[in-house]
Amino acid sequence: MARIVLNRLGQFAFILLIASFLLFAVTEFSPGNVASKILGPYALESQVRSLSDRLGLDDPLFTRYLRWLGMLVGLVPNELGGPATGLGLSDPRGAQYFGNFGFSLMQGRPIVDVLADRFGHTVTLTVWAIGLTVPISLVLGVLAGMTEGSALDRIISVTTVSLTSLPEFVVAVLLIFVFAASLGWLPGTSPLDPGDRWSVGSQLVLPVAVLVIASSAYVTRIVRSSVVDTLAQPFVRTARLKGLAPMRVAMLHVLRNAMIAPVTVILLQINWILTGVVVVEAIFAYPGIGRLMLEAALFGDIYLIQALTLIALSVAVTTQFLGDLAYVLLDPRIRVA
Amino acid sequence: MPTDDQHSYMPQLLTQYRGGRINRREFLRTATLLGASAAAAYGMAGAIDGIVTPAFAQETAPEAKPKGGTLRLETTVYDVKSPAIANTTAHPWIYSQVVEYLTVIGSDNVTRPHLLESWQPSDDLKTWTLRLRPGVKWHSGRDFTVDDVIWNLTRLLSDDVGSSMLGLMKGYMLNEVDTGQTDENGQPVIGHELWSPDAIERVDDQTVRLNLKEPQLAIPEHLNHYQAVMLDPDQGGTFDVGSNGTGAFTLVEIEPGRRAVIEAVSDYWGEGPYLDRVEFIDLGGGDQAILNALISGQVHGAFQVQPEFSSMLEQQKHLTLHDVTTADTAISRMNVKQKPFDDPRVRKAFRLAIDPVKASAVTFGPFATPAEHHHVAPIHPEYAKLPEWKQDIGAARALLAEAGHGDGLEVELVIQKDPAHHLRNATAIQEMLKEAGVTCNINVMPNAQYWDVWTTVPFGSTVWAHRPLAVINLGLAYRSGGAWNESGYANPEFDRLLTEAEAMPDPEVRRGKMAEIEALLQEDGPIVQTYWRKLLTFYDSRVMGFEMHPTYALFANKLALGA
Repeated sequence: MARIVLNRLGQFAFILLIASFLLFAVTEFSPGNVASKILGPYALESQVRSLSDRLGLDDPLFTRYLRWLGMLVGLVPNELGGPATGLGLSDPRGAQYFGNFGFSLMQGRPIVDVLADRFGHTVTLTVWAIGLTVPISLVLGVLAGMTEGSALDRIISVTTVSLTSLPEFVVAVLLIFVFAASLGWLPGTSPLDPGDRWSVGSQLVLPVAVLVIASSAYVTRIVRSSVVDTLAQPFVRTARLKGLAPMRVAMLHVLRNAMIAPVTVILLQINWILTGVVVVEAIFAYPGIGRLMLEAALFGDIYLIQALTLIALSVAVTTQFLGDLAYVLLDPRIRVA
Repeated sequence: MPTDDQHSYMPQLLTQYRGGRINRREFLRTATLLGASAAAAYGMAGAIDGIVTPAFAQETAPEAKPKGGTLRLETTVYDVKSPAIANTTAHPWIYSQVVEYLTVIGSDNVTRPHLLESWQPSDDLKTWTLRLRPGVKWHSGRDFTVDDVIWNLTRLLSDDVGSSMLGLMKGYMLNEVDTGQTDENGQPVIGHELWSPDAIERVDDQTVRLNLKEPQLAIPEHLNHYQAVMLDPDQGGTFDVGSNGTGAFTLVEIEPGRRAVIEAVSDYWGEGPYLDRVEFIDLGGGDQAILNALISGQVHGAFQVQPEFSSMLEQQKHLTLHDVTTADTAISRMNVKQKPFDDPRVRKAFRLAIDPVKASAVTFGPFATPAEHHHVAPIHPEYAKLPEWKQDIGAARALLAEAGHGDGLEVELVIQKDPAHHLRNATAIQEMLKEAGVTCNINVMPNAQYWDVWTTVPFGSTVWAHRPLAVINLGLAYRSGGAWNESGYANPEFDRLLTEAEAMPDPEVRRGKMAEIEALLQEDGPIVQTYWRKLLTFYDSRVMGFEMHPTYALFANKLALGA
């Protein structure tokens, strides 16, 4: 077990290192430069050049990369926080500390602060969405799988297939139309800003609902399929022939064995919601990581993109790692192997 | 009645208005530019035409507005630490409530003194004497002084600061200097310095004088450029929570991309404030999110609403539509340094292929008026009415054939992705050009990327914001070597006419000159222009004192929240 963990952590660090450099290299070929984006389209060439010099944007790629890496691990001070840039950037933690991603040039704040705010919001969304998706999917999937071919199975299957084929933005617009525009029961956007009419809690309902609908339809289908496959296994037939009650067969023999495939899917859903819900966050104006990533990419905020990409990679690798551990716990054969 | 301290041209201006040779708008614009206060200008006009108009349309009687309350407004919340490099009209929504301009342009397109008490141009428009409003104090209690003005103007005109004020004013305030450095192509890096040590002259404790290299009519407008707010020199040109200002509010919270909060100060020198607090909410700029928030009552008003959503919001009983006719437009400009647009026949053929009336209707429906391919709007005081522009496909084809494109021509029109009306306008142009044998491919770019190529693509559609005088845009966009001359247009005849127009305070004479300029641009110019758009938004009907401004400006000190 320890060997698996150490092995995965080593791979984790290597992937992040390679990815961070590749990202620097890719952004080298993106059009425009950050200085011109900060100053806007009407700045003269002399002004753009002056700011580029102060931001060190004209240094060679590898120099900038090493500077950024040194800053991240706390070996090199972040020089953009001084008055010389004229951008008013400052970091209360100082210029040199471990985990220093630098400044978001788009927001004019330390990236650590930007991430803390946005990541917290996305985690809230994820916890609610996954917290509701898992029980709903398990109940519906097991019910459909255990009653394969019945009317209940058909209703669940048709509904989940239909919902899976609906893009998130369609579900979002439909929910907004019904519950915000027509009935007026819920707010139409979710800036998580407590106004005099809508609480922060009420602002969470619609985005969570969209994610739950999108996720649970898919996970339900996987659970159903897995349950159906497991039910056809000889050990289940043996359990039934031994005279075990159907509920006992379902809980002790079917559910545990049927969970291996859905666990992967659920972990992928966590990964997706934490780092990839751009559409939902954009429609509801939800201040999370997905919207931030879109804004950073459009602005060309290289340091913020870099930080967000590393976080997305970390989440992906971590969920994969957790998936491997779950396999080990659920399936003794993997442990032995 | 003109007085001794009025500009020498004022009596003639009054005679022209009395004789009906200039309209009311032209009279008000020119009178205020020549140093008359807005109230005086409106008064003089009223004495002639009998129309009683409030000096500033946004001013309702202060006693009619209730005090207190929190207003929640949708806007993009940018990082505003450096107002000098703010590059959108949304930036000043936040900082201009705290730090203020020397002048202000009202929703009626008339410029007034603000932190200034008055301005006085010389007869040749090369010397502008600016007098500060007495009694204005910073929030810290210190007097607002002429030294604050000089520090801010000097700073804005420095290369290192990066303000677009430099491009705006360089023609009459700065000289180019060789920095001694070279760029990666071996070309010398050009810097700038004030053209004279006395260009910004301290006259006395209350007076500063701008001594210009060239005559310039639009000084008061330039002083209201959205970056030209007066910052406290002690704070080094930065702006943040708690920054010192002269405005009606102080910034108490800001999280770019999410929200900002301002709160009223108790001893503001001007009108208001009536509200206790204004919260600016960032909804990511998504049109759908803005629509939803307005319908749900999550915000009391929005920075702007796109016209396609207007009919839906008009059905909401708690919302009121606010719109304003502007000189806001997008021009499809052809880079004259690149083929095939180096040939004026091709440029004119493109214009002849376009019917601005149809293109405007397709793009905005009732929320725009057709343009005439010369970037001078009917609401500009110097606008000259030319014969109506007619689409002529036959003439366009003939010109293209003459230019060697008889077998057809393929071009690419680069446009910005957002808002969606850019694509509607481009599609209309594409279809009309097709009739003339031109295949126009549309390349849609993310907005930020477009600004990387706006001066280099052969054919691109660029948004130009409203400016109160046409000569401002013409100078920036089409003068040879102009700061924002994206088309590379260089025509000595145009330059001469424009320079003459800029030195003419007489709107009647200037209009004659403008007719020549407009005709020249229609014949030889680098643009296809189809519309002038209205700007619109919706506010909660309880909000008092709001009017849509042609450059989106917000005067939060005048707003109140009724029951």
